[in-house]
Amino acid sequence: MNPELLEQLGSQLGPNGLPYSIPIHPNLVHITLGLFIIGIAFDFAGAFFPLEKSILKMLSLTAVRSNFFDVGWYNVLASAIVTFFTVAAGFYEIMLATPEAGVKSAWGLEAMPTMLLHGVGGVFLLAIIVGMAVWRGFQRFAWRKDMGRQVQWSYLLAGVAVLGIMFVHGTLGAQLAAEFGVHITASELLRAGQDPNLLLK
Amino acid sequence: MQFSLPPLNDHNLPYPDTMHPIVVHFVIAMALFAVLCDAIAFFTKNTRLYEVSWWNLFFATLSIFIAIIFGQVEAGLAEPYDAVVPVLNAHTVLGWSLSAILAGMTAWRFILRSRDPGKLPMPYLGAGLVLAALVFVQVYLGDKLVWVYGLHTVPVVEAIREGVL
Repeated sequence: MNPELLEQLGSQLGPNGLPYSIPIHPNLVHITLGLFIIGIAFDFAGAFFPLEKSILKMLSLTAVRSNFFDVGWYNVLASAIVTFFTVAAGFYEIMLATPEAGVKSAWGLEAMPTMLLHGVGGVFLLAIIVGMAVWRGFQRFAWRKDMGRQVQWSYLLAGVAVLGIMFVHGTLGAQLAAEFGVHITASELLRAGQDPNLLLK
Repeated sequence: MQFSLPPLNDHNLPYPDTMHPIVVHFVIAMALFAVLCDAIAFFTKNTRLYEVSWWNLFFATLSIFIAIIFGQVEAGLAEPYDAVVPVLNAHTVLGWSLSAILAGMTAWRFILRSRDPGKLPMPYLGAGLVLAALVFVQVYLGDKLVWVYGLHTVPVVEAIREGVL
């Protein structure tokens, strides 16, 4: 954002460009991604349950098929709820970002296009995750309530596609940090010509 | 020995991006979600959530060992500067400890579950809270390594290579 606008925040911002030392968005991202991916994975486990039965027996793990679908449902539901906060924190932190111009990422993009894609992509992904949770809810409570396999193949396929989008989206986010140094104290100090080793002791 | 090692990129890694922070998504999300599900199940008597908790815990335990393997590789390649060393050491020690604690909790839970999947004793629920607290501390330490000290980020790796840091 425009440095003059950032000045309105006065001395509230630390050397990393945020009013706190650890960004919040990347922490919530762990929850969003972890829960969503595991949710889809457990629905796969439920869908292919007949194949796993013998392995589970060998490990003496008692497992009921519907438990796997419970995990699939509750994890995706929790992911959808958390993602509202993930996106909100992301927007707050993206607005306070002032990366250097003229640096290109491994994907050949500069900081601004990377931030815009990641920001718009975030809202898009939120909609997809919520949509997946709603879809999953309909399968669980209405369409496939009494069926052994609680999820449609199309849902699982869509889940895999979402993981692909998450990979692209997450890599853009990782590039903002690891390549452009956005909100990383040591990077910002180096850019200002200061020594992180002395200042961060 | 050089022949078998791929060259290091501008993150000082032999592969494109850091893997440890990606694998820990699963440990963090599943361990915390397991504790949350236990708490909700305890108060709402929805015993189905105990099963959700168990499977999350089980896979969190599998994931933490993968996280540790990548963590050790990436810590070894991090070239920590003086200010980072104590934090990296604390993160390493707590990481290995958490693998033992998680495995212990999973074993304990396995026994509890095989006796009665619909009930958890108070000491176990208390241990869950301790686990969640330790995960938070560990996340904070890992956050510091990335967001304060910038390990494996291009500007910091560059500064180390140029001898500025």
